[in-house]
Amino acid sequence: MTGMQPPIQAQDIRYAYGELEAVKGISFEVGPGEILGFLGPNGAGKSTTIKVLTGQLSPCSGRALILGRSVHEHSAEVQALIGVCFEEKNLYLNMSVKENLDFFARLFSLKHFDAMPLLRRVGLADRAKDRAKNLSKGMKQRLMMARALVNSPSVLFLDEPTDGLDPISSQAIRQVIREEAARGAAVLLTTHDMLEADALSQRVAFINEGRIVALDTPESLKLAHGKRSVKMRMHGTQGVREVVVALDEADAGDKLRAAVADEGLMTIHTEEATLEAIFIKLTGRRLEG
Amino acid sequence: MSRWGIIGAIIRKDLVEFSRDRLWVFLSVLGLVFYVVLFWLTPANVDETLVVGVHGEGLEQALEQYTAGQAKGIRLVPFASAEELRAAVEGAPGTSERVLMGIAFPDDFLAAAREGRGGTVTVLVDASVPSETRVALSAFVRETAYALAGDDLPVTAPDQQTVILGPDRAGDQIPFRDKMRPFFAFFVLLVEAMALASLVSTEIQDHTVTALLVTPARTADILVAKSTVGTGLAFSQAVILLLALRAFGANWPALLLTLLLGAIMVTGLGMIAGAAGKDFMGTLFYSMLFMIAMVVPAMAALYPGLASSWVQAIPSYGVVQAIFALTTGSTAWGDVARYLLMALAWCLVLFGIGLLVLKRKVESL
Repeated sequence: MTGMQPPIQAQDIRYAYGELEAVKGISFEVGPGEILGFLGPNGAGKSTTIKVLTGQLSPCSGRALILGRSVHEHSAEVQALIGVCFEEKNLYLNMSVKENLDFFARLFSLKHFDAMPLLRRVGLADRAKDRAKNLSKGMKQRLMMARALVNSPSVLFLDEPTDGLDPISSQAIRQVIREEAARGAAVLLTTHDMLEADALSQRVAFINEGRIVALDTPESLKLAHGKRSVKMRMHGTQGVREVVVALDEADAGDKLRAAVADEGLMTIHTEEATLEAIFIKLTGRRLEG
Repeated sequence: MSRWGIIGAIIRKDLVEFSRDRLWVFLSVLGLVFYVVLFWLTPANVDETLVVGVHGEGLEQALEQYTAGQAKGIRLVPFASAEELRAAVEGAPGTSERVLMGIAFPDDFLAAAREGRGGTVTVLVDASVPSETRVALSAFVRETAYALAGDDLPVTAPDQQTVILGPDRAGDQIPFRDKMRPFFAFFVLLVEAMALASLVSTEIQDHTVTALLVTPARTADILVAKSTVGTGLAFSQAVILLLALRAFGANWPALLLTLLLGAIMVTGLGMIAGAAGKDFMGTLFYSMLFMIAMVVPAMAALYPGLASSWVQAIPSYGVVQAIFALTTGSTAWGDVARYLLMALAWCLVLFGIGLLVLKRKVESL
């Protein structure tokens, strides 16, 4: 182990459920303080990859390293350094909000753990004594997030942390994710929400049928796969018409200035590609499918 | 990381969860209270007197004299007519005393006997009377009839001496309530096994066990914690029950050991039921399946005549018989050694299977 190694390293990981090969040689790294968006449709191999990286599954081949340690050779040591937020709300429903966190603190042998600061961060301080079963879906998800942070992890695995949540809960969780990355934690974020991935992630990885089909910053992917153009809607004597100006053209600046000066200009839209459009272009599949 | 610290945390968490599961807390407390009340309300002695209704014109006095000398433990209740006797055995309303057995001699019995004529003596028995009692009653009637007729039995019977093997319980029969102790104790053990099954299945179905396995907690820690919680709950409840039933006698260490083996055994069953059930109903189904099979030896202890030898093949047999022996007078280790060995063997098998099944389930999630 060395301090210079990336917190998360997946090296040609392969995993099969019997005859079905779910992960077919995935490699990537996540640096300290980096958020990597891990995007793919259901069954693409995202959850299996996370299970391998968190020590729940042993890979058929390849290596999973967390902070330079092999997850499967030093699983207890590695698991003391990671935090995992699952997609399913696997909380102890008959225990209170605070008891849930205190229990996990004991599993991490944290002797002087105080749950309240963490609960304040996720906006649940006033519900500390309530049983988890009495929380709303959004509150449960925030408690899941708090639980993943009990041990101040160096590496965070977040599986659909805002799936199906109201905007306020989603925003609260995104803020915590940003704070954790700012603290220096490496974050592997699985999500279906392209806007969320775009807003939070420094890089995104598209995974499809067990393989990574693209891995880059959102901007680079958009540049590589999108159109550099502007679409305008103009109102004239012959009705409404659309004008598209390619930004790579030599006279693009003149055309734009003329359009903006035109009194018939109604709307202007950039034709930058969305991550979802790029994913569909690369895989032929939608993310939800 | 301290393994014992992690195991302790899981045990503490399981006990908190158990204490907040209203169903199992209710069943545990209700069971204890109900069994203790039922035990102390049940008579503590056994009436060994056989009550037999009898009708025979002019025979009552002779019968009283005969039975007083020949058949101790039989109380005769005279009836004025055969019809009254029949009504009393049938339990018809308005009869002076309910009897389960009756002997109706023909009105001319003595005269017919003197003249050497035959007569028919009618034996009336309630349907609930066991067949062996019916046979004994018929033999008693035959002998009595000979005596009343002034004849000797057609065989020369030597003086008989009854040899009692084991403690002579004549006049000191085991009360029914004492026979119920192993039944209650094993039932309490099984209810706690169901509580463990519920804890295990909830952990699996809610996927909370997955959350544990991405912390420093290992599968082995979870298994040790569940084993401790299951055994502890079952053992402590059974001990409390038997203390309340004043079951601990001279050889209390043997009784404690028996309960511990029983608790470990049912913990294995709880793990199997908890891991096998896909949902609450599935867990309940497997739990009931085990409960019905395992409670048979306890039922057999209540009604010994009904038990066949195959009952000995049921895993709970050794535990039940050891509890029965230790709570009804046996004090020597030698008296229960065979049962304890049977219990130990089944305990190892079922607990081992339980651990294996739960380990595979946890690792497959």
